[in-house]
Amino acid sequence: MGMPIVVDVRDVDDETLLEPLFDWFREVDERFSTYKESSEVSRLDRGELEPADAHEDVRAALERCEELRAETDGYFDVRAVRPDRVDPSGLVKGWSVDRAAALADELGWRNYAISAGGDIRLRGGALPEAEWRIGIEHPREPQRVLAVVAGDDLAVATSGAYARGDHVVDPHSGRPPAGVLSVTIAGPDLATADAYATAAFAMGRGGPGWTARLRGYEALTVLDDGRVLRTPGFPVEPAAAMLG
Amino acid sequence: MRKALAPLLGAAALALPGMNAWAAATAKTKIVTRTKTKTFTGALGSAQRWGYVEVKLVVRKTTTTNRKTKKTSVRRRITAVRVPIYPNHTDRSVFINQEALPILINETLAAQSARIQMVTGATYSSQGFEHSLQSAILKEKRW
Repeated sequence: MGMPIVVDVRDVDDETLLEPLFDWFREVDERFSTYKESSEVSRLDRGELEPADAHEDVRAALERCEELRAETDGYFDVRAVRPDRVDPSGLVKGWSVDRAAALADELGWRNYAISAGGDIRLRGGALPEAEWRIGIEHPREPQRVLAVVAGDDLAVATSGAYARGDHVVDPHSGRPPAGVLSVTIAGPDLATADAYATAAFAMGRGGPGWTARLRGYEALTVLDDGRVLRTPGFPVEPAAAMLG
Repeated sequence: MRKALAPLLGAAALALPGMNAWAAATAKTKIVTRTKTKTFTGALGSAQRWGYVEVKLVVRKTTTTNRKTKKTSVRRRITAVRVPIYPNHTDRSVFINQEALPILINETLAAQSARIQMVTGATYSSQGFEHSLQSAILKEKRW
């Protein structure tokens, strides 16, 4: 998938114990990579594999893409940039981290954070801290932190311009959204949070209003005039409020 | 025997002044604290159209050892953030960055005082990762 994956587990000291998680990410890459000709997704795209014959994970991911497209009024659309391509990458990043978190739970870990390309799922705390604290990158200056999100059971995803070198476009106009620099969504499920962030970003200035109606998910939007709009329940640190 | 032993102890104390100090202090306290400071330089990163920036973090590492329980705790804090290369390729960016860089420094420090462990953002490709704040946080942790 060509993205950095960071796993921080505070329950174990031995790095080799993290291997099952990286094995899982390698498996996802083998199956879903659009850069690998042999992946199931590439074979689906070339018409060499029928969706019904694909691995259950691939079918589940494509089905979830469709559900989320409907839920977001068509704004989360994995075919938005290239309508002719099968490319569920926009969902797979968050979904693979959700599955890795389930694996971490099975391994008995209670204090971990897993990030794929800056989309994060966390549980417990960064021991000895009781919680994890996540910096939200400034959309114009990547070394600047705009605000801090804290939590002990949370998924956090950010969508914006320049993501992985490709563009988020408004599927209804085919053009990049105007007026918004980034949208960060926090909630229980990372695949959903990521899809909502992509959708809200694609909506442009209409995004914050849409995020205000989401149930179970909170949003922080940075507008291109420097204003920061967030939903009342967004788990931002009080100290960060002045940084907006 | 006693006479021979005394000079030996003296030599040991000379070679390990820290141990000697500890022996003297042990009646009162069993906690030893050591502090070291180290500077980390990030890779040169492009800050979009503002030009190139390089971030230096100065980290103070405090190791506290309880001699009685043998427990050691390590605490690292960012004590300074330096941005040695000012983007100045156009007049406009010089103007912006004279305003912006002190804010950058304050905010990174604010974030550290809040002890962030991870960073969420839209620019996290593998190519950009080594220049990222997330990468700097990981390097600091490995030390």
